[in-house]
Amino acid sequence: MNKDVDISVDFVGIRLSNPVLTASGTSGYADELADFMDVNSLGGFITKSITLKPRKGNATPRIVETDSGMLNAIGWANIGLDAFVEEKLPVLEKLSCAVFVNIAGETIDEYVAVAQRLADEKAIAGFELNVSCPNVEKGGISFGTDPTQVTEITSAVKKVSGEKILMVKLAPAVTDISVIARAAVEAGANALSLINTFTAMVVDIETRRPVLANKTGGLSGPAIKPIAVYLVNKVYNEVAKGSGIPVLGMGGIRTASDAIEFIIAGASAVAVGTANFIEPGCAIKIIEGIKKYCARKEIANIKELVGSLEVS
Amino acid sequence: MSEKCSAANKGIFCAAVRANKQLGQRFYRLGLEFSGAGAEVFANFKPGQFVELDVSGTALPPAEAIPEDLVDVSGRKVLLRRPFSFCDVTAKKNKTFVEILYCVVGPATLRMTTLAAGDSVSIIGPLGNGFWVPESKKRALLVVGGMGAGPLEHLAKVFTADYPDMEVIAFAGAKTVKELPFEARLDEISQQLGFSLGEFAKYGIESLVATDDGSAGFAGLVTDCLSEWLGKSDLAGENMIIYGCGPEQMLAQVAEIAKDKKIDCQVSMERMMACGIGVCQSCAVECRVAGSNETVYKLCCEDGPVFESREVVF
Repeated sequence: MNKDVDISVDFVGIRLSNPVLTASGTSGYADELADFMDVNSLGGFITKSITLKPRKGNATPRIVETDSGMLNAIGWANIGLDAFVEEKLPVLEKLSCAVFVNIAGETIDEYVAVAQRLADEKAIAGFELNVSCPNVEKGGISFGTDPTQVTEITSAVKKVSGEKILMVKLAPAVTDISVIARAAVEAGANALSLINTFTAMVVDIETRRPVLANKTGGLSGPAIKPIAVYLVNKVYNEVAKGSGIPVLGMGGIRTASDAIEFIIAGASAVAVGTANFIEPGCAIKIIEGIKKYCARKEIANIKELVGSLEVS
Repeated sequence: MSEKCSAANKGIFCAAVRANKQLGQRFYRLGLEFSGAGAEVFANFKPGQFVELDVSGTALPPAEAIPEDLVDVSGRKVLLRRPFSFCDVTAKKNKTFVEILYCVVGPATLRMTTLAAGDSVSIIGPLGNGFWVPESKKRALLVVGGMGAGPLEHLAKVFTADYPDMEVIAFAGAKTVKELPFEARLDEISQQLGFSLGEFAKYGIESLVATDDGSAGFAGLVTDCLSEWLGKSDLAGENMIIYGCGPEQMLAQVAEIAKDKKIDCQVSMERMMACGIGVCQSCAVECRVAGSNETVYKLCCEDGPVFESREVVF
């Protein structure tokens, strides 16, 4: 039944075997998921945020569940660039799916240093610039809400990225996401990923204190999906479509139908995030579901589906 | 068990519910059965390891069965899995039977109460590192605080089966007698020190009960009960080992006592977790770096949940 369906994606010149990736911070450095799925079956894999120096991350509690979602405030806990290159890159080199490294930092120089070091690594298809993390004091979202800074950081990293795909991950809670998206594209981004989490808070009414040690955290999960679909459609229509830039859509995807909504709204590929915590390996089911949908709808190539939203 | 044991062959398994028995107002023992690959994997489940249970699709109990203090939150949707240890593991031919001791504290555990024989649940496991038994120990002291009973009951079983020469004593504490998560009937609970809890007595292990309000056993904290008991002990610290599972404040006290008496001590830590498999990085435990003033965050799910108490910054 699925024989005639082509769900492979040309993503800035890189062929993804299917449009489903795992989102940064929800699938570690890939080896953690190996017990639950064949990571090579993914369209691509995005590492957790890598910073120039190792980071301990925030104090606990770092997460709290909400209705149909969760808040996290991990604070870029990661092993740092050197250990990443030494310990994790050899594992990623063995993967046949496209690998993207999510880069984060407190200063533009830090982003540049990480990209420069990794620009020649064959294992890596591209970078995802994290300019939208709500859980750190410096860097992150403070870059991503200001178009001038997005321009600055994107062009600085672009200069050292060589042939690598440069994808900028957008924050959702801005006055006009298209302004930020346009700034990234004009500065040299050749893909956009959206959305990152929403800054949010949960209050413990017994102690009248925020539940998270960081006070606020990023809201993810099914709760944010309809907003993410809307923002993907907005960025697709207002920026991506005209400039021929692919959108990697994410935000609350748990099922194949969730993923298909994003694709119809304008995403060339999608990333599964919070759902990996609940059902590691669910990305594989989503890939199968997309194939079945295409077969049922007689869609020979998934390209036909991208941005096919009917509004008339 | 003499080596530090870690999770192997972890995966997502389906377990059949065999029983779900209420013990007191808030406590239950959920009996599960694994067959096939799950039976094999969980036959090697070590005390102190844990699983992640998905109860997001499980029904709520009828309104009249919802405790008053949970009515307000009962309708909240459950998204994430919940971590639990096993209190009993029995491997038989082609089947492995396990039990989870749980307390109804929120929307997920409230839903768990409606699981009944014939239902099935999705389980990720085995996860984390369990308790281990260093060489040359002659006496093991199990220190239980409230719901910490589960993994230490399982450990008691393993001691009886595999370490016949080990002297094992359990100390179980709770705020009040009603909050002791054991099957014992109230009228059986003696006011005297030396009362035996059935869950440990069945393995031939003596247990001492402490309640903060003095409603059973030792009147005071279980850690005070432990201190008093150790004061009378004539065995050198190096021949003993303490295993602790319970609230963090209790574990911090246990760690102090162990340090003071030069007794090796392992504690099972608890943290909010999203995944249990090392990807979400939520469950950080601050640990000392040996030979330095530095600390690092280790993950409760992957590096723990059992840690040497001297390592943990409480």
